[in-house]
Amino acid sequence: MSRRSFMKKTAAAIAAAAFPALPFAIAQPRTHRVEISGFKFTPDRLDVSVGDTVTWINRDIAPHTATAAEGGWDTGELVKGAQASITVTADMETSYFCAFHPMMKARLSITASDQ
Amino acid sequence: MKQKLLLAASMLALALQATPSAAQSPAELNDLQIAHVAYVADNIDIRYAHLALAISSNPAIHEFARTMIRDHTAVNEQALALLKKLNAQPQDNFLSKQLTVNSEKLIDEMSQLRGAAFDKRYAENELAYHKAVNDLVGNAFIPNIENAEVKSLFEAGLKIFKAHEHHAEMMVKSVSK
Repeated sequence: MSRRSFMKKTAAAIAAAAFPALPFAIAQPRTHRVEISGFKFTPDRLDVSVGDTVTWINRDIAPHTATAAEGGWDTGELVKGAQASITVTADMETSYFCAFHPMMKARLSITASDQ
Repeated sequence: MKQKLLLAASMLALALQATPSAAQSPAELNDLQIAHVAYVADNIDIRYAHLALAISSNPAIHEFARTMIRDHTAVNEQALALLKKLNAQPQDNFLSKQLTVNSEKLIDEMSQLRGAAFDKRYAENELAYHKAVNDLVGNAFIPNIENAEVKSLFEAGLKIFKAHEHHAEMMVKSVSK
């Protein structure tokens, strides 16, 4: 065995010992997009995990918001073309509406995080 | 290519700057007259909303009125931006004048009311007003608008005004309890 070959095998063995294969893959947080158009949130039901980001984009001329039903979180006013993001937490409210047009309603469904 | 674009733009501008006609029915109005009616109608509802903010003490009425101001202002800004892009001016006409006269009477009447009586009258008028405007926009204006961009703006506006009509229905139920 050449000196170079010996060094390569040793480095590989050390790496394997230091970083054993993980029993499961770590799920990366995802970014979800909700379009506001025609006075509707699309999708109006969205499965998310803790740590994910939800981004709302307003395509309507009329300004809108995405606001938790009990006011726990709020994107603030989104004029046409504007967007805002919220990071999903385990205890956040899942029902939301547009504070300017209360007939516009939607819901997040928070699934158990696999991290 | 540039010359063709300039020619097309000139033809569009000429089409939009049609000679004001003495139209006597909404279906006879040209695009610029229709744009003027819509602008006036938006501003009338904004005036009603300011009256509601001044007179009513009902938080739900205030929230509704602020939404009317916010949305109708946004629509008017889009309309003005489009007219500027098309290098056109909205044209006053019989229907704009009629809407303005009617609104003045209604503002005088509502100004005399207070408390629950005002809230009820304001909510009922918002419902009736949006129903009437939506009927006009959907059945008389949109089928007769010639310019595609103007038509598209009115179609977007109609969605907003239908949402307002639905919202006004909720308001009427709320203040009638």
